[in-house]
Amino acid sequence: MKKKLLPAFLSFVFILSLLLAGCSGDSPTGNDTENSDSEQVTINLGYYSGGKSDEKMQELINRFMEQHPNIKITTQSSPYGQFFQKLDTQIAADEAPDVWLSDGVLVMKYAERGAIKDLTEWINRDLNKEDYYGLDSNQDTDGKYWGVPQGIQIGALYYNKELFDKAGVEYPSEDWTWEDLKEAAAKLTLDASDKKPNEDGFNSENIKQFGLTFFSITEGWFSVLKSYGGGILDESLNNSVINSEENKQAFEWMVDGMSKGIITDPADLNSFQSPMAVFPSGSAAMRIGIYARVLAANEAGLNYDVTVLPKGPDGERFSPVITNSWVINNSTSDKKAEAAWEWVKFWATEDEVQKEWAALGEAVPVKKSVAQSDTFLNSTDKPENKQAFLESFDFAGSLDTNAVWSEWVAKFNEHARRAFLEEQPIEEALENADKDVQKILTDFYNE
Amino acid sequence: MQTNRKNSATTIIPAKKRKLISYEGKWGLLLVSPYLIQFIMFVIAPLIASLYFSFSQYDMLNAPQWIGLENYEKLFNEPLFYKSLWNTLYFAILFVPAQAFLALLLAVALNQKIKALKLYRMAHFIPVISSWTVVMYVVDAIFNPRFGLANSFLIKLELEPQKWLNDEQQVIPLLVLVAVWKGIGYIMIIYLSGLQNVPNELYEAAEMDGASSIKKFKSITLPSISPTTFLVIVLSTITTFQAFEQIYVMTGGAADISAAGGPNNASLVLMLYLYREGFSFLHMGYASAIAWILFIILFILTLLQLWGQKRWVHYH
Repeated sequence: MKKKLLPAFLSFVFILSLLLAGCSGDSPTGNDTENSDSEQVTINLGYYSGGKSDEKMQELINRFMEQHPNIKITTQSSPYGQFFQKLDTQIAADEAPDVWLSDGVLVMKYAERGAIKDLTEWINRDLNKEDYYGLDSNQDTDGKYWGVPQGIQIGALYYNKELFDKAGVEYPSEDWTWEDLKEAAAKLTLDASDKKPNEDGFNSENIKQFGLTFFSITEGWFSVLKSYGGGILDESLNNSVINSEENKQAFEWMVDGMSKGIITDPADLNSFQSPMAVFPSGSAAMRIGIYARVLAANEAGLNYDVTVLPKGPDGERFSPVITNSWVINNSTSDKKAEAAWEWVKFWATEDEVQKEWAALGEAVPVKKSVAQSDTFLNSTDKPENKQAFLESFDFAGSLDTNAVWSEWVAKFNEHARRAFLEEQPIEEALENADKDVQKILTDFYNE
Repeated sequence: MQTNRKNSATTIIPAKKRKLISYEGKWGLLLVSPYLIQFIMFVIAPLIASLYFSFSQYDMLNAPQWIGLENYEKLFNEPLFYKSLWNTLYFAILFVPAQAFLALLLAVALNQKIKALKLYRMAHFIPVISSWTVVMYVVDAIFNPRFGLANSFLIKLELEPQKWLNDEQQVIPLLVLVAVWKGIGYIMIIYLSGLQNVPNELYEAAEMDGASSIKKFKSITLPSISPTTFLVIVLSTITTFQAFEQIYVMTGGAADISAAGGPNNASLVLMLYLYREGFSFLHMGYASAIAWILFIILFILTLLQLWGQKRWVHYH
């Protein structure tokens, strides 16, 4: 008899452990019953990160908990791509963090699908809006606020001083138009046999050094389209305005530069490990870059600086801004949401927190007082002209972010690529892009 | 065994009322229950859920809404679906025979008594256990259009440098080449075990009749290992249809999902299309519909292969 009991017992234990393993998984929303002692609230905070910033975040969280003994923060973090992939499934399973850090371009994706909380009242009550950069970029077309800025990315023109000096070209000035840029870029372009675009035997197929590296929406076509007076979506963000004369002109400027080998085209970019690597590796004299790109440039020990992005033909300028933000889970309890708001406030209002985060050099501080202080502007790190990032706020705008941003960007890229590689005439590419992007918008908004 | 019992149950009416499950049956069930529970939780349940999602509009953030056949209608009207279906088929048509044939050649070669045999076998198995990310770096060193070995070789020979993975025509054959290289060791091992099961008497008898090596290979080896070949073909057809990671990593998906799928979607395969729609654009209902169509295609293909095996697979 004993012998027969043993396998039964073993399989019982095995099944049980299997079930437990299946069910456990940390469910932060599960143990909600904190009505026991002294109003202790536990909130779960999610953020994407890596390396240095991870440590700093933990440090700030510890400081917050010391100041707020009744709030306990548990965290979950992972690298960017995994974080957002996991987040979507967590939201589906109602297991998402109570408060999380959202990439600026994704705030509206969550807002318009009802996954995050409308923070308008709290922001009006607790924050002095004048104090912050980028608060407006989390505002929807109805004027509601969906997130509080955590760090800001804004575009500027990066240039490699060494390459400019070598070619004897003057550094970019604040008065440059895109045409000026292309002229200078032509002097900075070299093919494999060190020939320049205007020389005989120049081979535009085999470029060693590009004048300008150019890719994707943020660090490529969007600012050009906008400063030429064109763009992608109208003010409601529900309609495409892609098929316009202004966009056509902007595309002519881009395609011309690419066909001459002055600007990197999509095929050129694929020959680098990553499109981000072209400028830091010294293979391009200029780039359109957001603030975070200083990290790679500094790491590479580049001798470079930044200035504001060039003007369009009518003097218009445009700098893309991405406001990475704290957002609060819409399905979390009121009590937890309030605790989460305390954390967001701590982050946004405390100068010390802002300064320490700014020291990592990943983003422009969201608080104007800190961004305009010596801590940010006169830190010893390159680039020297950090003021250019702040000046760019005067003509900054969002990337037409709405609920289906990733989708329409992918579609637009597909068509833009054909125009860039001259597989399709510009008019045709714009026409098709307009049709396809409009379809995506209609499918989502006119349900 | 099972069929016997079934027959007896239907033809002979038992005197006593039969127990639904015998004592041994209960034990059997209990012992396989860890697997069964896992199977129901992680295979059957998601399967049913995805079937339901495929008939609904589901963005993961809100509850699914039933929309009937709309996802399937959209699918059958979407040029990208047909393109990704064709890309997948094209990949399979090149990959499955190439891998099976080359792995067999390799297995025959490494089934001889040669020096450092284990070293050779190991060398061919290393790519199998390497991750795709590592493979990507190796491939990039060779096929990078700017710095790669392949192009500098072509230039030396005064030939036109190629765009390789950036060329719409070249991307799939090149991906197949790399996939064959990476997978060949695994298939070779399967073939090796198949080869070692061929009875030696057959060869001895053939030798007595004075058969040549080629004749022996054609008339003894090939038919004897046909069940292995069948297994290899079914397995690699299924893996090709599920190919994702390689194409995701090698055509830029890791940096930008909208770029995954190569130039002008020339290497957008079904799994990549599914991933992009489901996880990047939150069209989970539509993605589920893709998954079901993929399943149906694979199911039909496997049935066809099972049906076809009667003609060429010989079991001892």
